[in-house]
Amino acid sequence: MALRYEYAVETEDLAKYYVMGPVTVRALDGVSVKIRRSEYLSIMGPSGSGKTTFFNMVGGLDRPTRGKVFIDEVDIASLDAYELAWLRAKKIGYIFQTFNLIPVLTALENVTLPMVFTGVEREERLRRAREMLTRVGLGERLDHKPGELSGGQQQRVAIARALVNDPVIVLADEPTGNLDLHTGLEIINLLKTLNTEKKVTIINATHDLKMIDVSDRIFWLRDGKIERIETRAEVAVKEVE
Amino acid sequence: MSGEEGVKFPLSEAFSFSLESIKRRFGRALVTMASIVLGISFLTFLLTTGRIVSVLYGEGSGVAVQFYQLWMAVIALLICSVGIVNSMLMSVTERYKEIGTMKCLGAMNTHVLEIFLIEALLLGLIGGGIGAVAGWTIATVWQAFTQASPINIFMVSASLWTEFNVTNPLLLLANPLIAIALSVIIALLAALAPAYIAAKLSPTEALRYEV
Ligand SMILES: Nc1ncnc2c1ncn2[C@@H]1O[C@H](COP(=O)(O)OP(=O)(O)O)[C@@H](O)[C@H]1O
Ligand SMILES: [Mg+2]
Repeated sequence: MALRYEYAVETEDLAKYYVMGPVTVRALDGVSVKIRRSEYLSIMGPSGSGKTTFFNMVGGLDRPTRGKVFIDEVDIASLDAYELAWLRAKKIGYIFQTFNLIPVLTALENVTLPMVFTGVEREERLRRAREMLTRVGLGERLDHKPGELSGGQQQRVAIARALVNDPVIVLADEPTGNLDLHTGLEIINLLKTLNTEKKVTIINATHDLKMIDVSDRIFWLRDGKIERIETRAEVAVKEVE
Repeated sequence: MSGEEGVKFPLSEAFSFSLESIKRRFGRALVTMASIVLGISFLTFLLTTGRIVSVLYGEGSGVAVQFYQLWMAVIALLICSVGIVNSMLMSVTERYKEIGTMKCLGAMNTHVLEIFLIEALLLGLIGGGIGAVAGWTIATVWQAFTQASPINIFMVSASLWTEFNVTNPLLLLANPLIAIALSVIIALLAALAPAYIAAKLSPTEALRYEV
């Protein structure tokens, strides 16, 4: 049994500035939050509020201008390239608005890819990928290329890929952004089910209000700052009022 | 972190990934390979023809002919290189997004570099092989039809494969095996710069790139 930390993610005064000539864009400006294990968290905010920037910083995909990110109580700025790659391969699963599947690989091969980097044997890789794809409802589509799948199906492949290594955290950036209402809802519910079943922490950047219903907490982001933090109950009460 | 933690991407995985990538992007591979095949076959054709003629008519065909041949060979290699650099550049840039994704899944810079260099190596080997055999065959058959003694021509031409004459650069180059090695080197050099730039991209930079 691995050590269990209370917080999967902690940020301390996290900031990212983009300097473009005379203009400095404060994409993220002093965000300090704690995200518990197994929590389903949504980062809500209008376009340009810094959601993707937060996603990139927490995911170890880009370096902050200021502040710190702790994953399982480890400051990710202290990781070398080798450890950072391991963090991305094993501890974090990423889901993107544009799915980002490898176009020439089949659904099955796409899902096996993260296990290549964590050194899982070929047979075991295939077995787990098949199992995971079946779990997300694509057991019949294993050998299809992304181009032969609908948007919703591609996002299911991406979800299977994000979860197949049993990560601590799944980071999703507008996972329903390219999907119609109905398909979006299916994806939201799938993420919620996996969150409950696998106890995986889900951090969801979105401006899709449908997400509120499944979120444990909601961080409202505006101009790179946390405006307020609400639990689902608090949001629900407000709706009634 | 404990000892067993750490990303892996053994050479065998890199190799099969590159091979699959070539197979499944065969159109792109053909474009890259076409310039290699053309350049190397032209080079081999010139040098094989030159060798046959100089053996048949004696080495006295003169410095001018040799100079002319070398000049043509250089042109052939230049054309071939420009074509390869161009298609390598395109095949790397159109995969920026894929590189970003791979990095999110645990790929390190060296792994990305490995994938592209192995692809270049394979393309150089296959393209160079086809080019050398084609150039040599065309030159041999051509001479056999137009010159006096086909058997003699075939013997001269066949001997090129085993001849490693290091004293004369032109003779050395006339060996089709050297032409294949040259092809691999050119392909690797052409891929090196774009692959290095791609490998160094941060995941976010690579992902932002839309084709
Ligand atoms: N690479 C970049 N260079 C310059 N500005 C950027 C870059 N990435 C994001 N920004 C700016 O940072 C702000 C926040 O962007 P982003 O995090 O993408 O917001 P969101 O995902 O909430 O729409 C925006 O004003 C955006 O224009
Ligand atoms: Mg965004």
